[in-house]
Amino acid sequence: MNKANNTIFVLAFCWIMLAIPIAGFSQKQVTLIFHHKAGNEDLVLGNSYTTALGEKITVQRFRYYISNISITDKQGKTTLLPVEYFLVDEADSLSKIINLSVPDNTIGSIQFLLGVDSIRNVSGIQTGALDPMRGMFWTWNSGYIMAKLEGISESSTIAGHYFTYHIGGFKGPNSTLKTITLNIPQTTTVQELHINADINTWFKNSSEIRTSETPVCHMPGPLAKKIADNYSSMFSINTIR
Amino acid sequence: MKGMKKIIVILSILTTAISWVSIDTLYRKPKPVPFPVPKGWPQPVYDFSKNPLTEEGIALGKKLFYDTRLSKDGEISCASCHQQFGAFNTYDHNLSHGFNNSLTTRNAPGLFNLAWQKEYMWDGGINHLDLQPLAPITAENEMAETIENVINKLKLDKEYQQLFKAAFGDETINTQRLGKAISQFELQLVSSNSKYDKVMRGEAAFILPEQLGYDIFKKKCITCHSEPMFTDYSYRNVGLPIDSYLKDFGRMKITGDPADSLKFKVPSLRNVAMTFPYGHDGRLFSLMSVFEHYRKNMVVSATTDPLLKNKMALSNYEIGQLTAFLYTLTDSSFLKDPRFAPPGNENSGKLPADIHR
Repeated sequence: MNKANNTIFVLAFCWIMLAIPIAGFSQKQVTLIFHHKAGNEDLVLGNSYTTALGEKITVQRFRYYISNISITDKQGKTTLLPVEYFLVDEADSLSKIINLSVPDNTIGSIQFLLGVDSIRNVSGIQTGALDPMRGMFWTWNSGYIMAKLEGISESSTIAGHYFTYHIGGFKGPNSTLKTITLNIPQTTTVQELHINADINTWFKNSSEIRTSETPVCHMPGPLAKKIADNYSSMFSINTIR
Repeated sequence: MKGMKKIIVILSILTTAISWVSIDTLYRKPKPVPFPVPKGWPQPVYDFSKNPLTEEGIALGKKLFYDTRLSKDGEISCASCHQQFGAFNTYDHNLSHGFNNSLTTRNAPGLFNLAWQKEYMWDGGINHLDLQPLAPITAENEMAETIENVINKLKLDKEYQQLFKAAFGDETINTQRLGKAISQFELQLVSSNSKYDKVMRGEAAFILPEQLGYDIFKKKCITCHSEPMFTDYSYRNVGLPIDSYLKDFGRMKITGDPADSLKFKVPSLRNVAMTFPYGHDGRLFSLMSVFEHYRKNMVVSATTDPLLKNKMALSNYEIGQLTAFLYTLTDSSFLKDPRFAPPGNENSGKLPADIHR
């Protein structure tokens, strides 16, 4: 009986010792929740939309990588969060929710990389969200597809009226990496940050992209850069809770 | 009394369990394998710290290299197109055979000394050895399989479960480990024991035509085919005109730069007598046709290498001596090394009977 008591005491002591350093950091939780949009409408795979250039499209796939997230607090101090890679996929609702541990959830702005940084593009085979099995890696020309938008467009002139935009390229002039900054109006305590991502920007922004003219983008280069420039402003803040 | 019995039973179970754990730990610790750098060679570029060589890792890699289940129809392995007796090229084939009677669009190069290579494929599109197998596995005209299917097939196989555990410490089977294991085997393919190497080490001497050929080689070939790898790993246009069917512009496909049009990686000349046919699409059938190309058949264009703007003057005499020298680059101990032979054929290191040069 006495022995059992001792054991419980030792266990409890261990737990307390373990808990002390965790509590010491006093990490706060912030959840990013992505909402995919086609203009004002919610994006639903298989539904039809009219792009900003008047082309009728049906979206079948919409995915992109988010990485290198950092948070700027009310004093203007920026903290880079532990490096992690997230594949946000419209077809996988859980992937659209990203839980972050941050030192302070009174946030002035949040920054992240839309894509996979160049180091991960030259370091062999990665695991998890970056596993080439996820279909976001070019095996013939090593490098990640940073973002992907695929579907059917009445205006497309290729087989099946498909349009497939696989946007990648991490080297020098062909880099499609985009640093995104979202400012929180009136720095405030954030538990949930709802972020819109609007596919309409892919087609009309600094460049006009028509599925009738360029239905396919499958390699790094000028077209990929144009589309990346376009989608670099696809994110906006929906609501803050 | 009853309590005592219980305690003894629990204790004995615990002791047994602990002994299993420790035996298991001892058993599964992979045995490190050194990577000796041949004398006078540069340091390898492959980062072994990220993928330490072990006996178990190499054995797993070899099994994967020779396993036809990595392809869609279960008929094609890495070794189907990379045959040891051809220094791991596709012996006597300009192009290789892929899934469903398809053909590749380029000549399968020999595989050796890969630890010294930064980029892979004729156009250098692949930037890491571990990633390289994913291209042929997924190419429609090669093994035509998805990475997901390959991983699922391996996960269902009891033997692979054990081999992955032995090599990496636990049963996880993923793309990264697949690539690392194949790399471990491929990194073993070091060819450094040809007659040329023995001469350089002072263990043998060239006969006269070989020595004369080496002298000519040092004057006319060595800028691109530099020692000791017999390539400088650069990309050059050597005047092979575009094939109207393959339409292969080489390096330009990767960089998008018109200045790279028709440039391909300079191939190593080690084991060159065994790796015919030659050129990125294997259009040059013999060493003789390579020499004829350089002295006569080249098509000089805007991106042709500056060193070859006037083709290459070669006399019949020089071709004869050069050929004698190039034969000294054949490393027969590599071609017959039982460590690399197909599983079950480790002791039958016979060369094919129909070698024609």
